[in-house]
Formats: sequence, structure tokens, C-alpha cells
Amino acid sequence: MQYFKRSNDFIMRNVGGESLLVPLGTRVVAVNGVIVLNGTARCVWELLAQERSLDELAAAVAERFTVDVEHARIDVQRFLDEIGRMRALQP
Amino acid sequence: MTVLPTDYGALLRELQRRAASMRQPVSGVFELTERCNLSCRMCYVRHDARDTAQRSKELSSAQWLTLAQDAVDNGMVFLLLTGGEVFLRPDFFEIYIPLTRLGLILTIYTNGTLITDGIAQRLAEAAPSLTEITLYGSTAAAYEAVTGCPGSYARACAGIEALLKQGIPFGLKTTITRQNVGELEAMRQMARQWGVPFSGAWLLSRRRDGHSSDVEYCRLSAQDCVNLEATDQVSADEWLETAFRESSVKSDANFYCQAGKTAFVIHSSGAMSPCLTLSQPAARPLASGFRTAWEGVQRFVDEAPPPDSACLACDARRYCPRCPAWSSMETGTLTDAVPYLCEIARLRKARYE
Repeated sequence: MQYFKRSNDFIMRNVGGESLLVPLGTRVVAVNGVIVLNGTARCVWELLAQERSLDELAAAVAERFTVDVEHARIDVQRFLDEIGRMRALQP
Repeated sequence: MTVLPTDYGALLRELQRRAASMRQPVSGVFELTERCNLSCRMCYVRHDARDTAQRSKELSSAQWLTLAQDAVDNGMVFLLLTGGEVFLRPDFFEIYIPLTRLGLILTIYTNGTLITDGIAQRLAEAAPSLTEITLYGSTAAAYEAVTGCPGSYARACAGIEALLKQGIPFGLKTTITRQNVGELEAMRQMARQWGVPFSGAWLLSRRRDGHSSDVEYCRLSAQDCVNLEATDQVSADEWLETAFRESSVKSDANFYCQAGKTAFVIHSSGAMSPCLTLSQPAARPLASGFRTAWEGVQRFVDEAPPPDSACLACDARRYCPRCPAWSSMETGTLTDAVPYLCEIARLRKARYE
């Protein structure tokens, strides 16, 4: 089973109630921006402080946001794909 | 999830709007030094690079880092490092490198003349989101007529090339004076050739500390300002001030920008104020803690007296960039009309209505 954990090259910050992922070090120029997280994405990012499987993440999101697990799995997978492309996940 | 480009201006304005209702100090400026290696006659802050008395007042690197952590804990996300000339500080990287690990969106203002290949390489290890270099002319003669420093043009160009070589994102801007206004198109062309953005500013104020400067000799006439901004795209930044003004013109509040609402400055000696061009209220975050100092700055802004009644009644008010900082520098009050800006406002009104 594949496990995911967030990279240490990003820090989550809050501006006016909005959650942002701010890149650090060499990722600043590569990303050339900040990542604005919605509620689901913020929840997943916080969970990714530890290694998590897709199933674990989907179950947590489904419980937290009262959605069915299959929909949660699709949302979580999409988010993991996006932050994976930005190298915000540990390899 | 949305990825927003770190377009400092547009992003800052949108996020500041959201943060303003919470009075989150999201946007900080650390003025690391007031000393500069150039001698521009119009500068509102400059002290000589070798001014040891001034240098002795500057906070240490450890003090800046204490303030930075305290500010981050209270919500700072954007941080501008400026001077004077920041690279005059031999301990610049002792300050900068730890800042890059705090989750800040960093910007550096510099004249570029002290940026060597070595400095550019160190910056590239953890580059700021943006570096802005002020250019003063397109030839050595024109540039150095403004800066008063032989060799400074070549050093600025070398600094720019060093940043380009390292792939560090930067933009060029200029301070437009009577002495270099004829250089505008040539400077824009330089920026184009380097493939970087270019902007300009020409609303030049007197010195922040009340000492005499040559700004009247340097700044454009009100008529020249209005003519230039009507015909030159580089005027966009200046007009933003008016846009802010329009959005708040119904209010009699003296501070109509983000100063003291989401933005603060810590000057080189550690005093905190709402903006770069205002020294008051000189709160002391190192002594009191950031939170107490920030609350003092908010009170200063919230309790500021309203603008002069003549300003409130002025039919050109929506065209006027006056603010408490301008009043302070030009009249010594927070409220009084600034004749130079009155003239600009009336000329804008005549042109656009």
C-alpha cells in the first residue's frame, strides 16, 4: 500500500482566514506562487504530517465533511496528484 | 486548491482585504538600515554608508530575528526587506537565511550595486519571491547624475547580470526626477532587453526625519507629473493610490490604506510605525513584545484626527494622493493639506473631468 507524507519544503500559513502553502528554499522560484487550500485540502495537509494511505485520508475527510467515502477518495486523490506535481509530498 | 502566482501587488491587495477585518498584521517591512552607498538627492531616508552613529542605532541580526519570529507568530506572512541599502549590512545573510525558513513571502528592495556573483549565488539557495532593483538612468552619465557616485551604474548593471545568471526573479523600477525623466524610455528598453518588468514612481516627498533635502530640486512639477501619468504606462502604480482613494473617499478616516490595519514597518532602530514614510508612533516591539506594539500602531491609526476640513471639502479630493504620512513629511502634521499634492489633484481633475 502506498503512503503519503507532506514535504518539509512548504509551510501552511493563514491570511485573513485563508490557508496558504508557502514554498521554502529552492521551491520558491520553482513554484512561483503560493497554494491556496480549501477546507478539504487543509484537512488533508494537516493529516499528511504523518504517513497516511489514501484510504485513511479518504475516511478522515468523509467523516469530517460528512460526505461518502468514494467522493472523498476522488477529492483526496486529486489533491495528492496536484501537490505531488509541485513536489509538496515527500518522495 | 488554487495556485496563485506571487504577484506581490495583486496578491497582497486581495489577501490584505480579507485580513483587514481581523487586523492581522499580515504585511511587514523591515528597514534594515537607513544608510546607503549612493547619494541620491531626492531620497526620503538616506544616511551616508559610513555614518557610524547611524550604524550604531541599527538592530543586530539577532534582534531582527527575534522580531521576525514574534511577527510571524502574530500573523505576518509578507515581509519586505529594505533600506537604505540592505546589502550594506555585512550580516545580511545572517538575517535573511533564517527568514527563508519561516514561511514568509519575501521581497527585497535594493539598488543592486553591491550584488556580486557570490551574493547572487547565496540568494539563489533560497531566493526571495521578488527582488526590486531601482534604476536611475540608462547610461553611466545619467545614472550617476542622480546617484552622485562614480562607477555606480556599472556596478548596478553587474548586479542585475548576476541575478539573471542565477535565475533569481526580479523587477526594475525607477524613481523619476527632473534629472532623469528623459531617460524613461531608454530604461524601459533596458528592462525589456533583460526580460524583466519595469515600473516607475515620481511622487517624491521630503525626508521622513524632517531634515532638509533637495526634493524640490528633484521632483517633477505638478504639471509634468500629470502630463507624464496621462501619457506613460509606467504611471499605473501611481494611479493605484488614487484607486484606493476612490474606494475610501466616503470615509473621513485619515488613514485610508492598509497602514496600521494589516501593514506595519519596523525601522532600523527597532521603532514600529504604520508605514515607511512615517516615524510615529515609534512603538517598541523589542521592549513590549510585538502584539503590544502592533496594538499601539493600530490605536495611532484609528485615533488619528481627520484630514483638514479644507481637504474633506475639496472637490478634487478623489484625485489627491495625500495621506497622513505625506502631511507629516511636508507640513509636520498628520492632517494638513500638502500644496504640491493639491496642485496635482487640481490638474488631474481639470484633465479628467
